[in-house]
Amino acid sequence: MTETGIATPAGVLTGWSASRRRAKAARDEEFTAFVESAGTRLRRTAYLMCRDWHLAQDLTQHTFAKMYAVWGRIRTGTNLEAYSRRVLMNAVFDQNRRRSGSEIVLGELPDRPDGTPPATPELRVDLAEALARLTVEDRAVLVLRHAEDHSVESAAAILGLSTSAVKMRNARALSRLRALLGDDFTGP
Amino acid sequence: MERNLREHFEQAVSDDPGFALGDLAQAAMVEGGQIRRNRRTRLAVPAVAAGVVAVIGAVAGLNLLPEPAEPQATIAAAMMPVSAPSCQEKPVETGATDAAVFLGHGTTDRQRTRLLATLEDDPRIAAVAFESREEAYQKFRIRWAKDPDFLAAVDVGSFPESIRLRLKTPEQYTAFRSEYVTADGVNSIVGRRCSADAPVGGTL
Repeated sequence: MTETGIATPAGVLTGWSASRRRAKAARDEEFTAFVESAGTRLRRTAYLMCRDWHLAQDLTQHTFAKMYAVWGRIRTGTNLEAYSRRVLMNAVFDQNRRRSGSEIVLGELPDRPDGTPPATPELRVDLAEALARLTVEDRAVLVLRHAEDHSVESAAAILGLSTSAVKMRNARALSRLRALLGDDFTGP
Repeated sequence: MERNLREHFEQAVSDDPGFALGDLAQAAMVEGGQIRRNRRTRLAVPAVAAGVVAVIGAVAGLNLLPEPAEPQATIAAAMMPVSAPSCQEKPVETGATDAAVFLGHGTTDRQRTRLLATLEDDPRIAAVAFESREEAYQKFRIRWAKDPDFLAAVDVGSFPESIRLRLKTPEQYTAFRSEYVTADGVNSIVGRRCSADAPVGGTL
């Protein structure tokens, strides 16, 4: 065997590659336009889930990559925004599972299972930190419902939960958030 | 409360450092292309059935080995992929149902990608699977696990990458072969005649 037997492609092959190249260029252009319109919001959603802009960037890229891999199938007839949230949340959950052995330790605020607000202002946390103290599933519900304004039904579809599970998680997470944010979190 | 919470969320992302979305799209397309290729790799290629005895003679003389290795003839033969049990023992020149397209050792990523894409779109082809050097090497290790001399004589770099495929009808094999055997990155094409339950490509 030698490498010298490699010649130019036969005519048919050249034809195939040329038409494929054109189709790929059109597909890539469409995909790029989608990333440009949806990228910033998706990255911010990822940030709310992980509180790290670099990781958010990676998760966003990975989400778009998975969508690109099946772009031909999803580009029409699919709610791309909901689809991207679902892929992103699954990536976040995966990430969370992988790290569950070394769960993130956050600050000195003690857990308050009874939900009482922190006693002193110094212990107050901002929203991103408060979110990080919730379970990843509760965090996902809050982010989808309140940062992204998805309906209960839409959030349920994205997360693969029942609507009642979304409502229950939402109520529970909100009360916990209220406790963590203390006076900053006004409202009923 | 909802409104207040919304403000909190907006504030939480207010330190967004920003990122060039065009670059993000580019990176996603590169990674996404890789995901597609990996998916193809997983398509088929079942594990070597336990207890199947390698039929070395069946493929001896095909001369597919990389130039610099120059292993002894017996080792060269041992490195050849083995016909699946539901295929005829010897490769065929015409009327093949399955084929293995062996890539040259100098084949570039671009050539490999283009070849895979072209084969996937070829209407004569029913199924495509990619076999990496590592997979070929692992199969060799399994097949010759009891023969440390063979195992010591080769390393993973000695094995060629290959694309395994099944044709829709065996009558198209001759035309298919003559078209692809000269394509960029292709080293050789070996056809086999198999029944439908054989692994894609007709080799173990």
